[in-house]
Amino acid sequence: MSIKLLNPNAEVINKSAALHMNINAAKGLQDVLKTNLGPKGTIKMLVGGSGDIKLTKDGNTLLKDMQIQNPTAIMIARTAVAQDDISGDGTTSTVVFIGELMKQSERYIDEGMHPRVLVDGFDIAKRATLQFLEKFKTPVVMGDEPDKEILKMVARTTLRTKLYESMADQLTEIIVNGVLCIRKPEEPIDLFMVEIMHMRHKFDVDTRLVEGLVLDHGSRHPDMKRRAENCYILTCNVSLEYEKSEVNAGFFYSNAEQREAMVAAERRQVDERVKKIIELKEKLCSGTDKNFVVINQKGIDPPSLDLLARAGIVGLRRAKRRNMERLVLACGGEAVNSVDDLTEDCLGWAGLVYEHVLGEEKYTFVENVKNPHSCTILIKGPNDHTIAQIKDAVRDGLRAVKNTIEDEAVILGAGAFEVAARQYLVNEVKKTVQGRAQLGVEAFADALLVVPKTLAENSGLDTQDVIISLTGEHDKGNVVGLNLHTGEPIDPQMEGIFDNYSVKRQIINSGPVIASQLLLVDEVIRAGRNMRKPT
Amino acid sequence: MKEIVTIQVGGYANFIGSHFWNFQDDLLGLADDPHGNEVFRNQSLDTDVLYRSGETHQGVQTYTPRLLSIDLQGSLGSMSSHGSLYNDVSSSGPSYVQTWKGNVTREVSEPHKKNLFLQSLYEGEQKVDPTKKIEDKDLVDSLQEDVQFWTDFSKVHYHPKSLYEINGLSMDANQFNNYGTGRDVFSEGSRGEEMSERLRFFAEECDHIQGIQFVVDDSGGFSSVAADFLENIADDYANIPVLLYSARDPRHYMKPMNREDSISRAIHDAVTFSRLSSFCKLIAPIGLPSLSTSKVCSFLHIDDAKPFYSSAVYAAALHSISLPFRMAPLGPNADSRYVAGAVDVNGIVQMLSGQGRQSMVAILDVAMPAPLIGGASQQSFQGSLNSLTPDVNEDAEDSYEVESMTIHGALRSGGNHALISEVKDSVTAAYESSGKKPMFSHLSVASCPLPVPLPFPSIFGNCVGQHGELLGSPIPGSLPRRSSLDVHSVPMAARLRSSNDVLPFLDKRLSNLRKFGMDRGAAGIGLLQNWGFAKEEVDEMGESLSKLVLALNPYSQDSSDSD
Ligand SMILES: Nc1ncnc2c1ncn2[C@@H]1O[C@H](COP(=O)(O)OP(=O)(O)OP(=O)(O)O)[C@@H](O)[C@H]1O
Ligand SMILES: [Mg+2]
Repeated sequence: MSIKLLNPNAEVINKSAALHMNINAAKGLQDVLKTNLGPKGTIKMLVGGSGDIKLTKDGNTLLKDMQIQNPTAIMIARTAVAQDDISGDGTTSTVVFIGELMKQSERYIDEGMHPRVLVDGFDIAKRATLQFLEKFKTPVVMGDEPDKEILKMVARTTLRTKLYESMADQLTEIIVNGVLCIRKPEEPIDLFMVEIMHMRHKFDVDTRLVEGLVLDHGSRHPDMKRRAENCYILTCNVSLEYEKSEVNAGFFYSNAEQREAMVAAERRQVDERVKKIIELKEKLCSGTDKNFVVINQKGIDPPSLDLLARAGIVGLRRAKRRNMERLVLACGGEAVNSVDDLTEDCLGWAGLVYEHVLGEEKYTFVENVKNPHSCTILIKGPNDHTIAQIKDAVRDGLRAVKNTIEDEAVILGAGAFEVAARQYLVNEVKKTVQGRAQLGVEAFADALLVVPKTLAENSGLDTQDVIISLTGEHDKGNVVGLNLHTGEPIDPQMEGIFDNYSVKRQIINSGPVIASQLLLVDEVIRAGRNMRKPT
Repeated sequence: MKEIVTIQVGGYANFIGSHFWNFQDDLLGLADDPHGNEVFRNQSLDTDVLYRSGETHQGVQTYTPRLLSIDLQGSLGSMSSHGSLYNDVSSSGPSYVQTWKGNVTREVSEPHKKNLFLQSLYEGEQKVDPTKKIEDKDLVDSLQEDVQFWTDFSKVHYHPKSLYEINGLSMDANQFNNYGTGRDVFSEGSRGEEMSERLRFFAEECDHIQGIQFVVDDSGGFSSVAADFLENIADDYANIPVLLYSARDPRHYMKPMNREDSISRAIHDAVTFSRLSSFCKLIAPIGLPSLSTSKVCSFLHIDDAKPFYSSAVYAAALHSISLPFRMAPLGPNADSRYVAGAVDVNGIVQMLSGQGRQSMVAILDVAMPAPLIGGASQQSFQGSLNSLTPDVNEDAEDSYEVESMTIHGALRSGGNHALISEVKDSVTAAYESSGKKPMFSHLSVASCPLPVPLPFPSIFGNCVGQHGELLGSPIPGSLPRRSSLDVHSVPMAARLRSSNDVLPFLDKRLSNLRKFGMDRGAAGIGLLQNWGFAKEEVDEMGESLSKLVLALNPYSQDSSDSD
């Protein structure tokens, strides 16, 4: 799946040609991505040469999937992908903004202005915009109980740029609850503690939050229960399989008896471990309606499974490493590395454990847990590309909620910030700047407008009209964003359109850095040189 | 039954794998063919070791390789990364977008055209064509020129979790050409986790996994991807032995190199070997600079420029080595009529690396075809084996040599299948008459020869008969290259051996690392830094390489210090 951009094999070429190549590459990449932007953007279905399908409305996913050859485009793409790694959103805006900075610069450069002057202006404008952002942001107080409504509005804003409205709205609640479930006061939010699991299902597109865990495997013994209530959960990383130690390779033995004896001794060791688990189970469960489930990161071989099954224990093997942590957060107890000195305190608890089978795929649900700090978002979809796209959206939503909690602030969206910042730069900042660097500030300010312009364009609105009415309304002293249905100014606060503060800050920060580098080229960087991401 | 999970990482590894699985697929077909030869019907080889049984959502039973193949996005040609078995038609058709009500654009790449072979494969699933014979020849002929991707000649159905594509690299395969370019590829984004998850899918199903058979294309960035993956595996599956084949396409040696390139290459080779060997139990480097002119190809016509050709030879050797892993163990003395000498991956690892000298580097030798027992040339099996491992000595004296040999499908002069006992006797006799016997030698024998699948390259010389028997003189009227239509099966011998013959291989890597990466002012120090290696790490690599040398040659220290 490749979208070719400009000439791939750039050799080192002279300054002015290099500069124009950079500008063209930035514009080219902008063209590819800008139709994505916002809730009225276009979703892209990429069909590969073998018929594999990818579905995406996300700048990040698209950039990763394009086989970009042009070195300048690669540089911009890396910045945007880094944007996503750092803040989880805003890749499309980053690319579009960089493209626009280059486009605005082109005008001045063609008139003979030195790029250095523009870059100086960018620098001033950037610092001023970041200061403005601090004033503009809407603080959100995150006490012990975060304001769920504002979290939902942020999540919904993001989700609606990726999924159609009612689907986005259904997910909003799930995502906010998911993050609140794993949040611990005074600790950074570890989104890995929200497991995202999927199932392919012929007709369904559906997502739900499981307060507990869904594992993508089941027990491997026919006699183990498929459904058990009131379960102790033993989370462990203990080998319950016959180990292939050095000495049991057959040819080291002169006789079969010697070998058999060694094998038996090894087997006994494994059995001992299993017996210790069974002992604890008997002690805690016999005579009650309680059950016992072992979830092991290591293997459990058939003889061990047999022993467990006979003792009425459900055993799962080769659990994901990360699920060890999640299980403990969901069910309590601890993840043990040895079965010596097992006590009840080591165990977690789940009200219900059951298995769900779909063809060869098995899922184990660990639910009805007491005070979960880990949960699972379960996505059902008809095919892999639909599932993948929903997954991406869910990740975006989770990041948006996490950012909001950590930023303790949000930014009014729908272009409101960009319009306000642009007016601030043009009306207040520009006049304080000496000489021609003013033009750099102006270029920067105009480039900011690419966001509302693109949102308008993607909604089939006239960009000129929209900008005139937005700036006009702004200059009357109102904070206004764009209503994508009518083209009229709206109050994003009223509509609940909020973006992340950290995402915006990152865009403002990194956009001009890359644009400046591209403007101040001496020569074109050859592709493939720098393998590392810009930081 | 003890399962093996196979992992193939990188372009050439997947070419080798593609042939390897074609052999397995052929064997499955031949075992079920009531008119087939007895040696194929009674293979006494447990295919469940390499394959897994599954079921689609529709309840259709499947039987697919227990395989994880990793390659760059775009390397699968016309094959879907989901394979062909599990694609249930969803309620609304795949191109209907269920998540977005706004605009949709479709970017449809030019579909990869299926070659004649793949077309016939696809049609063959629907109907059997009576005019088959003529068609086969066209297929075989077309493949000789038409192979671009490893999927172009694959006749195997793969599981949807088997084919993993690395995307988001922003460089093409040609740029992914040294250890440094692969740095971070595993850890970036969620790639490493996704690969590990796929492996876990296959491993979780195994009741008694015996080992992991790992093939890596070690010519470029994949070395580093594989090393990172292996490091993870060593953590997650501490007790499961990994048998690693570190493979190199001969094409790689055909590119012109300037001085800078050759320094980079030398460092790459040293780093690659050092890193890969530190995370497995046994490593066999394979890949001769000029396979076509090597002794291995005495009876074969290889074109080094075609990976379709060269990879077939390596695949055949890997197949032979894997046979003992699939034989049912019967105890030391009870032999079946069809197989003898079962040993599992752990057994091979312990045998070669665990005795006396702790050397985990093995040489892979092969004889393709293996000689006839009692043939006119009086060639022994041992004498006909030649190394696929580069930079090795031929027959230096080594009183500590350990070997594990597999001979299968052996023929008597006259063309009849040899009995297991005849093969054993012949091997013993050869040792006795030569007076040279390794310290320890293990022999596995199977009656089932290497099947030659239809999409196998036409590499057989005109002294190779229909059953792979070596003829004294060229077949009259035969073309110089004989195809899968002419040669149906091949007797094979292959051997893994731990020997100080491998010292030149090790010495070269060690001395290059010192010369270009460690000595004061060395030309490659900056390069190693670029690749992300700190000085201490380079020193550590040097250390581990010299340990490997030392294991085989206790006197080496003086000599390498002086130069
Ligand atoms: N209902 C809305 N009306 C107007 N603008 C909106 C609305 N919802 C979101 N937006 C705006 O859409 C922009 C975000 O669009 P989008 O999420 O498609 O791109 P991105 O965040 O830059 O990149 P990506 O999500 O692809 O990484 C923001 O500027 C946001 O304010
Ligand atoms: Mg977004």
